[in-house]
Amino acid sequence: MNTPTNCESCAMHNKANLVKLGINLDEVDYVIAMAGNPNTGKSTVFNNLTGLRQHTGNWPGKTVTRAEGGFVFNDKRYKMVDLPGTYSLLSTSTDEEVARNFILFGQPDVTVIVVDATRLERNLNLVLQILEITDRAVLCLNLMDEAKRNNLEIDVRVLSKELGIPVIPASARRRQGMTELLQAVEEVATGKYVCRPHKIKGRSAKLNNAISKLENSLAKQFPNLTNTKWVALRLLEGDDSIIEAVRTGDLGSISAGESGIQA
Amino acid sequence: MNTLFILSIQPGLLLLSGLIIIAILAWILWPQKGGLARFSRMKARSQRELLEDSLKYMFDCEYRKAPCDMHSIAGNLDISVDRASLLLEHLFSKELITLDDQAVSLSDTGRSYALRVIRVHRIWERYFADETSIDQADWHNEACRIEHNVTMEDTEKLAAQMGHPVFDPHGDPIPTAEGTLPEPTGVTLNHLKEGQLGRVTHMEDEPKSIYEQLVVLGLYPGMQIYITDVAENKISFVADGDECSLTPLFAAHITVELVSAKEPVVSKNELLSSLQVGEEAEVVAISPNCRGQQRRRLMDMGIVPGSLVSAVIKSASGDPVGYRVLGTTVGIRSREADLIFINRKK
Amino acid sequence: MDKTTHHNREEILTAANTARWELGLDFHDTVIESIYSDASQIARKTVKLKGDKEAYATDITIDKIVTSRWLGFPLMFLLLALVFWLTIAGANYPSGLLSSVLIDYLHPLLKQAATFIHMPWWMSGILIDGAYMAAAWVIAVMLPPMAIFFPLFTLLEDLGYLPRVAFNMDNLFRKAGAHGKQALTMSMGFGCNAAGVVAARVIDSPRERLIAIITNNFSLCNGRWPTQILIATIFIGSMASPQLAGVVSAGAVVGIAVLGIFFSLVVSWGLSKTVLRGEASAFTLELPPYRPPRIWQTLYTSLIDRTIFVLWRAIIFAVPAGIVIWLVANVHIGDLSLAEYFINWSDPFALFFGLNGVILLAYIIAIPANEIVIPTILMLTVLSSKMAGVGGGSGVMFELDSTADIAGVLQTGGWTLLTGLNLMLFSLLHNPCSTTIYTIYKETKSLKWTMVSTFLPIVLGFVICFFTTQLWQFFGW
Repeated sequence: MNTPTNCESCAMHNKANLVKLGINLDEVDYVIAMAGNPNTGKSTVFNNLTGLRQHTGNWPGKTVTRAEGGFVFNDKRYKMVDLPGTYSLLSTSTDEEVARNFILFGQPDVTVIVVDATRLERNLNLVLQILEITDRAVLCLNLMDEAKRNNLEIDVRVLSKELGIPVIPASARRRQGMTELLQAVEEVATGKYVCRPHKIKGRSAKLNNAISKLENSLAKQFPNLTNTKWVALRLLEGDDSIIEAVRTGDLGSISAGESGIQA
Repeated sequence: MNTLFILSIQPGLLLLSGLIIIAILAWILWPQKGGLARFSRMKARSQRELLEDSLKYMFDCEYRKAPCDMHSIAGNLDISVDRASLLLEHLFSKELITLDDQAVSLSDTGRSYALRVIRVHRIWERYFADETSIDQADWHNEACRIEHNVTMEDTEKLAAQMGHPVFDPHGDPIPTAEGTLPEPTGVTLNHLKEGQLGRVTHMEDEPKSIYEQLVVLGLYPGMQIYITDVAENKISFVADGDECSLTPLFAAHITVELVSAKEPVVSKNELLSSLQVGEEAEVVAISPNCRGQQRRRLMDMGIVPGSLVSAVIKSASGDPVGYRVLGTTVGIRSREADLIFINRKK
Repeated sequence: MDKTTHHNREEILTAANTARWELGLDFHDTVIESIYSDASQIARKTVKLKGDKEAYATDITIDKIVTSRWLGFPLMFLLLALVFWLTIAGANYPSGLLSSVLIDYLHPLLKQAATFIHMPWWMSGILIDGAYMAAAWVIAVMLPPMAIFFPLFTLLEDLGYLPRVAFNMDNLFRKAGAHGKQALTMSMGFGCNAAGVVAARVIDSPRERLIAIITNNFSLCNGRWPTQILIATIFIGSMASPQLAGVVSAGAVVGIAVLGIFFSLVVSWGLSKTVLRGEASAFTLELPPYRPPRIWQTLYTSLIDRTIFVLWRAIIFAVPAGIVIWLVANVHIGDLSLAEYFINWSDPFALFFGLNGVILLAYIIAIPANEIVIPTILMLTVLSSKMAGVGGGSGVMFELDSTADIAGVLQTGGWTLLTGLNLMLFSLLHNPCSTTIYTIYKETKSLKWTMVSTFLPIVLGFVICFFTTQLWQFFGW
């Protein structure tokens, strides 16, 4: 690393490093997925980073199709995929399937989860679900200005410790926190920051029992699979794409650790 | 110049004929009650339908360990005994059943055929319950209508879309595509004793007349039932806080699994719709009668057992009411708020 | 080897299935509950409320006002009326300017250039009188109102006011079996039906979304307001005394718009009780916090995303239609042009519905945009009644400067008060423009529902016009 990190002035200097690529995405170094609840300013963050201009409205569910963009940061080329905004990843609706399958099968190098700081608790529902699937994620705590205006104070350090991933406070509408976000993304992508994501506790004994049985047989069959617990849970939910992946054996190839880029 | 000829007719006559044409069209095309719909329903049951229905019935007997003979088959399918005997001959010639004196039993081929039909039936029932707004009392009939006409592939596609459901909306397990089905569990309601707590796992949907009565009483799978009194011809219990009683005949149509008494006894719950603006409450449960997308959305919004809700605003037209939950205001219609049980905070 | 691994994999799936039977009915719910319980634990550790004021106290206060029993609806009507007034009043001048540049100035110039390079007459006819003129009309009439309406609407959207409208209106729509958010797609439809159809995306229940899409055409769009105003002024306003003419014709136009809302609700109700009866429905309506809109961003995105998008689609469809318009007026079989053949042939049929052949033909060939209906009608009327000295020749759409002149042309074409009234009704109740039809197809991805959305209004239009005409004649007005 030539550029010094962790300094106050970095934000200013690094602005120059952020060259907006538009949508020229032939060869990239890292693939970033963007997930989040609807109406959290996800599209605004996406637009800020990629220079695209998707419409963002104060209305849940504006982004319906998956958008892609790219940028260069510290000489590395990133492709960014904006997943549809969803409240959860557990149901069978198309939006949730697209988001879920991309995070699992698309194997992004980093998943940026944009949450609304003013409604953290509800947004954490999705965050915790994503952390069950992937080990590499960054939380973008957006709408911090609005949280301040409404007297909400969020302990970013504790939150980061609890979730086990970097947490970056931001106000995307004012373009605040974007450089810090990119820095965190880079650190996770290069492996400088190792995430220790939170795993769900408090499941019933009956369920845990069923999960661990399945986990055992999954681990035997797919030794490289890292998130067996989640895959087991998905099998119990009857997720068709996971069932198919087990049936055909494709599940083994995604767990090999290759950061394959999928359109 | 026919059109010009029409033009010279009195406008009154034209008006009348216009109205008559509309009335006739409406009579023919009206859904459910129209001539076209009636006609398609009147078409006689095909041989295939009879065959599949009889296999289904025989499997049901086998599963519930009930005896099965020609007379009960004829009764169940609503056909004459002569016709039933012809049908059995046909089944026998196709090696779907084995005949032993009076008793009829399924062959392995017959059983797997029956399981396939049952799978199709229950998957479609699940679909009607979760993804459509078809009336609860009509799920079974619609599924019966459709099970003989859909392909296995379409059904499998549907199952995949819905996350391969393993229970139908009546609480019955759905056989796997390979034809496995778990052993029946639970006891029928008429076997429960006073003071026992059970949870409904199954409601028999045949005959329809009894099932409809049970639905009208507000019973559904997943509901907790607390037996308060057992008399010779009346079983009284509390379900969702409401006093209820059934004759043993009706109670035999409900299967329950016993719940250990450690779990809280269901007391009369208040409904979210009763919460006035300014009041706060804790969510206790969402009624199992709230299904599919509606249920998922409510849970997405943070309506889960344990979360706090308070009513904050009322629409200018009175309904919906805006509830504050997890830091957001969510508008919920009173019809849906009726399906959410709460515990009011003082 | 391969066989055993395959077998082992299948065994995992079988085990999962058996476990699911054992876990029972409410397993999915308990999974979600465990996630929420972790989430709330984390939130308790990290989120603190500073001071004693409740979070979003201001938002809730504003909400109490905009949803209050007495102020809720008046506020809403005031805001929407303001948006429409700004659109109609503000679009007048730029529309005139664009039309004088594109049509009065550039069109003759292009014709001269064509003559100069000795372009054959038919080619300059097709390209300049047909294709160019249609595109020019669409731009001149469509662009200014949209460029005003969409940003204003987007501002209300960004502010967060629109979900409150849905919240207030929901009761009415619930009774019609629809979703409260349909109030928004409907208001959006007053700007442009294609945009209204796209806006239906915010309704996440498939049944309610379909209802909103199918009934959006009953919102009188920007392209139809001028037709309504013109015809109302000529035929209805003229019946009143000159002082009241303005008010009466404005009232007639508003009446048609309200009739549209009425049909929208009735058809929604009908659909939800019949063909869409079995579709699942769900209702949730999140009321997001109010946010100060960013004016420039809004202007930019609403111009790019909505205005240009819709305009571009309209132009794409207008160009071929312009060519067709020119061709039907200029291709002759014997003495008569194709247009005249069609008009003569369809006139008796059309009179049945109180319309005429010219109107039918105009609505068929002006399908790309309602904006070009009036110029096409004028051109066809002049053509079919062989008027001399009016307009720019056969196949060239035109509009006249004064309403009186237009009235003159139409009356020569045999129009009566009944024709005018029926045209107003038919303009409300006919197939959506091609841009909207295409958008409906893109949004629903279903040919069936596109067909329903296309033909349902036109059938309704013929039925309503038929009964209006017959009743009218029955009572001998």
